[in-house]
Amino acid sequence: MGELTTIGFNVGQSILHRLDPRTKQVLMMGLSLVSVWGGLAFMSVLTLTLAMLFYAVNLNILRLLREIRYFLFLLVFVVIVRAVSLDSRWMPVVSSSAAADGLLIAWRLLMVVAMGILLMATTRIAHIRAALAWYMKPIPLVDEKMAATMVGLVVRFVPVILFQAFEISDAQRARGIERRKNPLFRLMTFSIPLFRRVFLCADELTTAMQARCYSEQRTLPDLAFGRQDALATLTGALLCLTALIP
Amino acid sequence: MSIIQISHLSHCFADGSTGLSDVNLTLNEGDFTVIAGANGSGKTTLLRHLNGLLVAQSGSVTVCGRTVKQDPMAARRQVGMVFQDADSQIVGETVYDDVAFGPENLAIARPEIDRRVSRALAAVDLCGFENKRPHHLSGGEKRRLAIAGVLAMAPRVLLMDEPFSNLDFPATVRVLAQIIELHRSGHTIVITTHDLEKVIAHAQRLVVMAGGSVVKDGSPAEIIEGIEDYGIRQPCSVQLGKGIRPWAS
Repeated sequence: MGELTTIGFNVGQSILHRLDPRTKQVLMMGLSLVSVWGGLAFMSVLTLTLAMLFYAVNLNILRLLREIRYFLFLLVFVVIVRAVSLDSRWMPVVSSSAAADGLLIAWRLLMVVAMGILLMATTRIAHIRAALAWYMKPIPLVDEKMAATMVGLVVRFVPVILFQAFEISDAQRARGIERRKNPLFRLMTFSIPLFRRVFLCADELTTAMQARCYSEQRTLPDLAFGRQDALATLTGALLCLTALIP
Repeated sequence: MSIIQISHLSHCFADGSTGLSDVNLTLNEGDFTVIAGANGSGKTTLLRHLNGLLVAQSGSVTVCGRTVKQDPMAARRQVGMVFQDADSQIVGETVYDDVAFGPENLAIARPEIDRRVSRALAAVDLCGFENKRPHHLSGGEKRRLAIAGVLAMAPRVLLMDEPFSNLDFPATVRVLAQIIELHRSGHTIVITTHDLEKVIAHAQRLVVMAGGSVVKDGSPAEIIEGIEDYGIRQPCSVQLGKGIRPWAS
């Protein structure tokens, strides 16, 4: 189990680790929304900022890229779909402006995922859950604790699913799955055991939580919005302003 | 004084097969009991009834005078369970988070949670591991973490399902030493196993299960003879005619 996925909480003392989870969540949501219409200047500043934060958090970028390689393939697919069109004779034509648009879309998606990875790497699930419960408390007809628990469990399960996927992939490669060229066959033989193991894991986790008296009325972590959070929010707001630069 | 009473407990699985059949047992406070049986004999199913993970279909289980069916949460506070697969029991991202998970569920104040976590980690010799990721621990350390996670809830009874499975020799010796220490400190211990070798010398009572029923119940010395008829290997010392001896010095 030593080779676990890097996507998940890592103990540390970086600036991001010390921030209130509510600050991190609101920054992530705000920057993700602004990135939808942010131009080159905003995206460049955001990328630079995230690169510095990745360095500060001490995440292994190369290993991380390897772990999200299937998502990267998807981004390449997005760029190709945007860039390539068919002319009147049904011949493929590559448009440079459409390719640039596709690259910008892929860049935005990558940054949103990068922010999610940073949030997960620097915030305990209990803190993510407590912050979500705090945000959802004023919303009528929503059981904020239940909703926050569900989101928290999803976050808890992402590394488990990735770990199971790598295990199954390795086990199938050890038995020569590469020799089977039919992608449908490979997809079936990969996805069925993956779903089975993920559901079994979910069942085991539920039993373990029940055995330890899991309930909605838990002691939640103490959340404190401090000076560092105010500074981070201000920095995030300034970063958002760069989206106004044409 | 009895702490758990099981009377006429039966359980059928969804596929119709029998898990437990008319089990009657009384477990006394402070006792060290080993429940032995071959695979599929009903050991784990029985344990899951004791802390309310399974509810009695017929018969009843009573913990500290209260029926588990009526109040499973009260049973779980009194009876902590350590699972066979320690990985499946780990729910926290750090050792501290994992041990604190149970007390947090009991809505205990944070300073008391911190005290309980420190005490539980000290009891299993994992002090200084608070910020480590549980999945990076060795098999023996994970097992001790699972025990700490249960100890932090301050239960009176500790159930352990095959606590030595998948452990190497040093890890087994260490886990065994800690179980003995927990028993000395006043916990009621119930261990299920199909391998008596390691633990039988320390147990006061041996319960043998087969086909979902209790087939033998008594002191280990009295009932160890003929135990191989139920798919359980006799300890080496017994096979050599030297009686029950401790497995490790």
